[in-house]
Amino acid sequence: MPLGTLDRTPPPFFKQGATPLHKLIFFATLSILLMFCDVRWQLTLPLRSALSLVLTPAQWLARQPQAVSMGLAAFFEDRQSSQTREEVTKQALLTQSLHASQVDELLLENRQLRDLLELKQRVNTPSLAAQVIYDAADPFTRRVILDKGSINGIVLSSPVMDEQGIVGQVTRVYPLVSEATLIIDKDNSIPVLNNRTGARGVAFGESSGAPLLELRYMAANADIQENDVLSTSGVDGVYPPGVPVAKVIKIERTADSMFARILCQPLGRAQGVRQVLVLNPVGLDEPKRPEPEVIKALIKSGAKP
Amino acid sequence: MIMPRGQQLLLPANPFFIAFSLLLALVLNMIENVSLLGNAAWRPDFLALVLLFWSIHQPQKISIGWAFVLGLICDVHEVSLLGQHALAYTVLAFFATLIHRRLLWFSVPSQALQVLPLLVASHAISMVLRMSLGTSLVGWPMLFAPFLEAMLWPVMSVVLLAPQRRAPDPDENRPL
Repeated sequence: MPLGTLDRTPPPFFKQGATPLHKLIFFATLSILLMFCDVRWQLTLPLRSALSLVLTPAQWLARQPQAVSMGLAAFFEDRQSSQTREEVTKQALLTQSLHASQVDELLLENRQLRDLLELKQRVNTPSLAAQVIYDAADPFTRRVILDKGSINGIVLSSPVMDEQGIVGQVTRVYPLVSEATLIIDKDNSIPVLNNRTGARGVAFGESSGAPLLELRYMAANADIQENDVLSTSGVDGVYPPGVPVAKVIKIERTADSMFARILCQPLGRAQGVRQVLVLNPVGLDEPKRPEPEVIKALIKSGAKP
Repeated sequence: MIMPRGQQLLLPANPFFIAFSLLLALVLNMIENVSLLGNAAWRPDFLALVLLFWSIHQPQKISIGWAFVLGLICDVHEVSLLGQHALAYTVLAFFATLIHRRLLWFSVPSQALQVLPLLVASHAISMVLRMSLGTSLVGWPMLFAPFLEAMLWPVMSVVLLAPQRRAPDPDENRPL
């Protein structure tokens, strides 16, 4: 056996490069620095965008087993189940068409009334249909990846909804894909309005990780009941007003707390959602706030803010 | 590298095969996430395992620098904190270089037992980093991941060393 074919090259005596400990210190410091840039200063988006572009072919490859299995499942679906599903869809379409015809009339009426009261007309927010490619792998957060990115016109902080209600908000936009945080994520919050009472509040993702929302900071004696529907209030300038968000399922009032603990079930399919609609943030149509210099100049000149 | 007695002599490792196996592990991780399991916390991390394997078997070729780069790529795919996997993999590769001279003298099941603490440490780093940022625990399923990975170690040793176990002079009787 010739010697060259053996894995027996002796390690170099002198040219060993940096020691493992030095390398460890260098790269660990670099990654901690990166984490700081990511969390504190949000500086890493260009790096993320570039790497995500590089990863796109691999991600496409990883999606293929699912695509094939879904294709096979659709191929082998029996006639009865597809007929049942069609029936259900027809029923839903019937009720929706009734609603739609009423909505047209209501819109007209609303516009006339708003004209009468000289209120600002509500704008219809432009929207974009998108598909959820996959759930983000990070087990600590609830995020999904959408198949549309900045080249398709997705804007940062756009609301994301399915046919039932709001499911999340776009939190990062890459060139080809974008990342939406679901409303059940612990760090996500959404301003809501109780449809029955008109009381406003803010709903947060449930902190223990269950796929629920928690309506925080509602007084223990607030008028709220189970099955109350919460919809977006529109005060944030991001979500269009009046889109359903969640339904109250459980209210715990304890004597030792000023606030009631109110758990809500999201109405949109926050888990396992496939087809979504990405709306443009409402606030984009509003006039911009004046620059700080302008405000300072105004204050100096004696104008009241 | 000195090897224990009675063990088969290995061919030199092909750098292209190493790169291919790392890429395949990354794609396997993605398939696991995208097509099979979603964001379940107990998913075994193939990339960490293959990285650990090569940094033990070929520390001259794959070491801490590559671990860092692959960690960054993993972070971008998983949309976790940028640098979280990079730090975890860096530490993993560092400990791998510390034990690589000793580990190969043991039998493969015993090796699996000895890499288990390293894999646990790598997962623990991710968890501690996220908890320091105020994320709640994802629960006990997360404990499964390092054990599953350690159980995959013998499989890895067979699959990844297979090209090096081929005959040095293939003839008609031994085509591979």
